[in-house]
Amino acid sequence: MATLKILIYLIVCPGLFFLFIYSTFCEWFDRKLYARFQNRMGPTHTGRWGLLQPIADFFKLMAKEDIVPDRADKGMFSALPPFGLAIVSTAMLLLPIWNYDLEKPSLTSFNGDIIVILYLLSLPTFIFFLAGWSSTNLFSTIGAARVLTMLFGYEVPLFLSVLSPAVLANSWRLAEIAAFYRQHPLLILVNLLSFVIALICVQAKLERTPFDIPHAETEIVGGTFTEYSGKKLALFRLMIDVEMVVAAGLLAAVFLGGFSGGLVIGLINFIIKTLLVIFFLSLIKATTSRIRVDQVVSFSWKYLAPLAVLQLLIVILVKGLIS
Amino acid sequence: MKLGLFIPELLRHLLKKPATVDYPFKKLEVPKNFRGSPYLRPELCIVCRACERDCPAEAIVITSVNEAEKKFKMVIHNDRCIHCAQCVDSCPTEAMKIDTRFEISNYDRHNLKMEWEYVRAVVRPKAASKS
Amino acid sequence: MNFQIPIGPQHPALKEPIGLRVVVEGEIIRDADLRLGYNHRGIEKLAESKTWIQNIYLEERICGICSHSHTTCYVQGVEKLMEIQPPKRGLYIRTLVAELERIHSHLLWLGVAGHEAGFDSFFMYVWRDREIVMDILETISGNRVHYANNTIGGVRRDLDELQVKHILDSLEILRKRSEFYKNLGTKEPSFVARLAGVGYLSKEDAITLCAVGPTLRASGVPMDVRKDDPYAVYDEVPFEVCTADTCDVLGRTVVRIKEILESYNIIEFLLKNLPAGPIAVRAPRRPKPNEVISRYEAPRGELIYYIKSNGTEKPERIKVRAPTLGNYAATIKMLKKGFIADVPLIFAAIDPCIACAERAVAIVDARTGQEKVVPMNILRQSSQKKSANKERKREVEWPL
Repeated sequence: MATLKILIYLIVCPGLFFLFIYSTFCEWFDRKLYARFQNRMGPTHTGRWGLLQPIADFFKLMAKEDIVPDRADKGMFSALPPFGLAIVSTAMLLLPIWNYDLEKPSLTSFNGDIIVILYLLSLPTFIFFLAGWSSTNLFSTIGAARVLTMLFGYEVPLFLSVLSPAVLANSWRLAEIAAFYRQHPLLILVNLLSFVIALICVQAKLERTPFDIPHAETEIVGGTFTEYSGKKLALFRLMIDVEMVVAAGLLAAVFLGGFSGGLVIGLINFIIKTLLVIFFLSLIKATTSRIRVDQVVSFSWKYLAPLAVLQLLIVILVKGLIS
Repeated sequence: MKLGLFIPELLRHLLKKPATVDYPFKKLEVPKNFRGSPYLRPELCIVCRACERDCPAEAIVITSVNEAEKKFKMVIHNDRCIHCAQCVDSCPTEAMKIDTRFEISNYDRHNLKMEWEYVRAVVRPKAASKS
Repeated sequence: MNFQIPIGPQHPALKEPIGLRVVVEGEIIRDADLRLGYNHRGIEKLAESKTWIQNIYLEERICGICSHSHTTCYVQGVEKLMEIQPPKRGLYIRTLVAELERIHSHLLWLGVAGHEAGFDSFFMYVWRDREIVMDILETISGNRVHYANNTIGGVRRDLDELQVKHILDSLEILRKRSEFYKNLGTKEPSFVARLAGVGYLSKEDAITLCAVGPTLRASGVPMDVRKDDPYAVYDEVPFEVCTADTCDVLGRTVVRIKEILESYNIIEFLLKNLPAGPIAVRAPRRPKPNEVISRYEAPRGELIYYIKSNGTEKPERIKVRAPTLGNYAATIKMLKKGFIADVPLIFAAIDPCIACAERAVAIVDARTGQEKVVPMNILRQSSQKKSANKERKREVEWPL
């Protein structure tokens, strides 16, 4: 019985099957919202309101021809997409949706899992770098170099801003942090600054405008993904969607109070809170234009990192005031 | 902060109808002066061949079918036509007109020909042509 | 480490094929080279075998965005050859369509600049408002691009009261929206960070390298054919030449937005003072043998036509000098010392219309100074002979 429950958790929900459906739904939501901000229609006609459009894109890419360039490192080139998908799917397991018991730590919810999830979210950046590097194409190499340059900018503010609520809640375990903020809802307002910083840094991690420099279409053709086609590209795009869901889930669990309430209500809670975070991410995407890679680094170190440190100071002060 | 310039505009557009139209299922109207495809009114044509001479794309071809009965045939090659309406301006009796059709695509370019066989009319030209 | 990056002929940053080759070190550009000829269509040769009226429609199709500029410049030249003067109302309508075309071209450019910089929302909004201008042009002339409103001796279609009222109403909406874009385009921080300081071209360089149009005016040089050599009714219409002082891409954006606002004022003046009368005069079929030069301020800069006739009903030679051709040398100067990320923006800032600027190449023998124009098949045969016995290299290197 326990193994059946674990198998359902891993494969159906919130495992691979749910992840596939939900991440394509989130991509539809993002595209439709982005289009409505710009006064146009977005996907229509495939399924009601265009809901099946991302799934249709995925299947179309799977059916196309798969070309591996001559001078590329064939092993690494082909192994990277499924590897990346595996990494982000594992990160999804650590979000406290079901299968966590506040008293007993288990395999998917233990002390320190917030650090593991942040680590697992940094790995896709290296996967993009290796994908660009092993393609041995001029444009991919520039894209790969830009991915790493951006990593120098946003990683430190992201870590600092996600860890400040953890410091206030006195624990390194996602389920406990969420439970703490459910009990003291007013303390969510203390973390407002780090919520904004975390939104900007997550936008940089997901490589969306204003930080979509590594795969800037008008400058370096496809960037890191120039040489990918067919099934590998389909898996990469799915990996980006799943990364968006995981990052949104992480922000919702840490800043917005987690997903409580048992089987059905917990799932609805998860969906609503992640859609709220994705709404903010789409708003940032529609408002700004792309900035240059050196401007990313200078912006993060001049503004984001000091603000994150300031937030940490505020958290320490409030913690002293409470106890 | 200056970033906030654009955000209220964006949020307002969430509530408006989109500016784009779901094209094959809903169509827009064209104005009445729109230059679509040219056509002939054979009862007014005096076969002066001004349209054939002035067409930039050589899309109008007039041939004589029967000399004695003064029967002529005009073929307009709508695939060569560039829809400039110079034939309409050059025609002295207003026999050439242009309509508002624009969805004329076809799988075979030879299906886009339009033909008229007619007897030459005896009509006085209204005014000197503009060319 | 020196990299040579090819931007084009096929590249998402370019709307038309051009071979731009930049040598980079990291992200900084050290050198640039330009290869033309991918879009050559033989229009000048074709124009020699069509009559004067048929050529109006041929010249119009040199470019889609500045189509009215090419027709008007050509028709002005032919009217000088035939020594006829179009009536006032015809000239007013011609100028009206010219200013509407300037507005639509600059709005298109604003959207494209936003798209090159990654600011897609701005792009979508500006192009949505450009639709208003396209609809006005459709009701006046019958088509959204390639208006074909000119004929030798005047214009083809007249304006009635309803259309005049429609244009004046749309102008109100457009003015409000353009003020909003002027505010947004020059103050949105991430957009301005991309445009400011990029593609610097000093005043002396701009004059020496023959830059034209907004590229020249953004470096502070107030040269505009509409003021220096007025054609149509520009000597009667009050307007100002728009310049900026910053000499970079932000300056060019500001110049174009100011020109849009000036065009609104010009159109309002034209519509309020439209004289009554005929719209065209009759033109003869053959002009006397002569040669003439005609200049026009297209949205991209100064457009020059040289037309030569020999007394028959077909021209002997037509030569077009498109404004983008004049801006190429300035582009190379601007590209050095920039970043790769700036290449699309610098290139887009001169508003390239590569389709306008393709011409045939004459080969000049360096030792004797002799010129000859070599037909393409001879060049191809000689190059095939030369490379037939060489071993095939896996990667081609361009000599820079």
